[in-house]
Amino acid sequence: MPHIEIEGVRVEVNEEGFLIHPEEWSEDLARVLAKAEEGLDELTPEHWAVITYIRGYYVDKSLAPMVRKMCQATGFPLMKIYDLFPSGPAKGACKVAGLPKPDGCV
Amino acid sequence: MSSLLRFFENELQIACLAFMAVVYAVRLLWIFRFKTRRDRTFPAGDERAGAGYSLMNIVMPGAMESTRKRPFFYAQFVVFHLGVAAAIVGTFIIPYSPGLFGRAAFVRLFQAVVGAAFAVGLIRLGRRLTNPVLRSVSSPDDYFSLVLLIVWFGTAVLALPNRPERGEGPLLAYFGLTAFFLAYVPFSKICHYLYYPFTRYYLGRSLGHRGALPPARKAKELA
Amino acid sequence: MTRRRKAPSAVVDSPLDTRTQAKAKEDRRPSVVEGRLKTYEPGNNVGRFLDLLAGRISRPLAVSMTACVHCGLCAESCHYFLTHPDDPTMTPVWKADQVRKIFKRHVDWAGRIVPWWVKAGTLESDEDLNRLKNIVFGTCSACRRCTYNCPMGVDTGLLVRFARGLLTELGIVPEGVFNVSRDQWETGNQMAVSEDDYLETLAWMRDEVRTELGTDAVDIPVDKPDCDILYTINPREIKFDPRSIAHAAKIFHLAGASWTMPKWGWDQTNFGLFSGDDRLGAYVARNVYEAADRLRAKRIVISECGHGYRSTRWEGYTWADFEQTRPTESVVVTVKRYLDEGRIAVDPARNPQPVTFHDSCNIARSGDLIEEPRQVLRRVCADFREMHPNRRENFCCTGGGGLLSMAEYRPLRLEAAKIKADQLRATGATLVCTMCHNCVDGLNDVIKHYKLPMKVVQVLELVSGALAVPVRKD
Repeated sequence: MPHIEIEGVRVEVNEEGFLIHPEEWSEDLARVLAKAEEGLDELTPEHWAVITYIRGYYVDKSLAPMVRKMCQATGFPLMKIYDLFPSGPAKGACKVAGLPKPDGCV
Repeated sequence: MSSLLRFFENELQIACLAFMAVVYAVRLLWIFRFKTRRDRTFPAGDERAGAGYSLMNIVMPGAMESTRKRPFFYAQFVVFHLGVAAAIVGTFIIPYSPGLFGRAAFVRLFQAVVGAAFAVGLIRLGRRLTNPVLRSVSSPDDYFSLVLLIVWFGTAVLALPNRPERGEGPLLAYFGLTAFFLAYVPFSKICHYLYYPFTRYYLGRSLGHRGALPPARKAKELA
Repeated sequence: MTRRRKAPSAVVDSPLDTRTQAKAKEDRRPSVVEGRLKTYEPGNNVGRFLDLLAGRISRPLAVSMTACVHCGLCAESCHYFLTHPDDPTMTPVWKADQVRKIFKRHVDWAGRIVPWWVKAGTLESDEDLNRLKNIVFGTCSACRRCTYNCPMGVDTGLLVRFARGLLTELGIVPEGVFNVSRDQWETGNQMAVSEDDYLETLAWMRDEVRTELGTDAVDIPVDKPDCDILYTINPREIKFDPRSIAHAAKIFHLAGASWTMPKWGWDQTNFGLFSGDDRLGAYVARNVYEAADRLRAKRIVISECGHGYRSTRWEGYTWADFEQTRPTESVVVTVKRYLDEGRIAVDPARNPQPVTFHDSCNIARSGDLIEEPRQVLRRVCADFREMHPNRRENFCCTGGGGLLSMAEYRPLRLEAAKIKADQLRATGATLVCTMCHNCVDGLNDVIKHYKLPMKVVQVLELVSGALAVPVRKD
């Protein structure tokens, strides 16, 4: 099973880099995922605005939020989400926020 | 000519042909028991053109990337099947129109075609025995059918001059194997020629309906 | 003749994971309770599989089973084998034979009496069924490239779908397949988008286009009767990237189109195509056709999606036993018509980057649209170039057949994608355009994995970018 290391701890991810156990997520892990999967050297407050919203939504509803909701909550236009997370809201932002892979062909 | 050879050339062939025909008829009934579903959509192309194009596949090596990239492989296929046709025709000429084989040039032509098919058969057997892909899927029937045909071609080359007075061995072998072949074919992969019209027709009709086949002739010019 | 050592089989050994199935049963999900969505139960699954095989097989597939002469020509048409040339289990003939041998043993003649002679075989346990699952779901994108290269006309792509359908009936499917099927049964769309989400996103995109064009006359009407066009989309456009909805709305507005989207029956995608489940296929397609009937739309227009196009334009009518009564077309064809009729004006200089086009399997090989997208692209791009091979001989994006929803098979498909990466790189293009959402994600995976300096775009995006002075002003 693929995994990533953070401070000596192995965290399991699936073949696409999504966390197998979302409860293992932490902010440090988000930085590791962002670097490894999105090529982001640092996460700006704008990144965190998106990540925090997604994480909160998931913890509350066990679902990934629609991109519409991400834009509404953060006030960012759609293009901004794509600028911040090159792989897009599903494969980029949701992954960094520690969500499991969204269902469906995406 | 001995009565055995006469029997082999005549009654035995007819009996085996009849058997093969009966089994084929039952096989066709079996195929027709499976259902087809009518396509309920507006066509984007011509079903009959698609089916026709598909059925012509064996004479259009340029139509498929697989045969376009392997012209020598395709040439082998042509030679092999011409050999089959020649060897079968020989089993009718010898008992019923032996005069045709009175002309040496004609016999030599048949021998050449069947001889070439014999050589191709050996090449293909070598391939089937050594190519890992073929080895992973080939069954005893695949090997046996090919060996049977190769040996049959060999007996045909020897028997086609039709000289029983010089020894009936080749002729008995040729007609004997033909009889066996006729009885074995319906249960073997060799009867793929029976299925060819079906697979190609259904595929061609479906893709023709969808405008996928035949490929548009003016594809490059539309801009 | 080649002499190569056989490599170990690359078939992914993924066990059957029924955790989400168990949860669906526990939650008493309606689709499970009502028996529409099948779950795995220990028991005589092999026996049931054999009965289903014999009972369901159609004539074209039965002859595909018998007609194979093991010539091996299909091998080099398959991206899985081309990238694993020492592994015979990656060839179409070997994969098809895993189903074919069962047919020979249980339905055909010689295989019943002397099975070993014709290499007939059988299944003995649920583990065997699981292994078959890993083959038909995990080593094939059902792209039908092998079908087009078979001298006998054996349709291995369709055969794989058939085998998948048998396994789906037994609940022996990858978890991703179960989850998406469940969502599509229960919510009518592949990604469990709610009606509120859907309507909110449409309103949002409408507002974006209004801002962009500076007029409130732009609308995305919902459930408007008697329109020319019923526009149907991929749920991915709601959940993850609605920009394509905005492009369509802008183009329809400028062309003066009379159009609407339905409140229910807006999902043109169809997981039944991938899972082999004709009943799910029928249900989803029927939702669209009935929406068009209900709203008395003159034609159904399908947004850019390969399997959605094939399912809604072609297969769906047959699955649903629904006679086609109105034109059903791709939005690319609609846009081409607008260009032909001069209803929208475009300037190709606004798309100066070199663009290549990726033909999607379900549109080019299993459908009819080859020249139409090219005709549009040549008008909206300054530098359009073909990849090779192309059209019906193109290689699959490697994400087809539902593979994007099955994470366990991803590493293998990315290995197989090397062919695609080489093909893309050779064009020298910076943009690759495709008419399929699946291909967008499939190609994005290839680009990311092989570090290609390219981006994926769709036709509507390029058209939208090339729109010059609007022909109609309000």
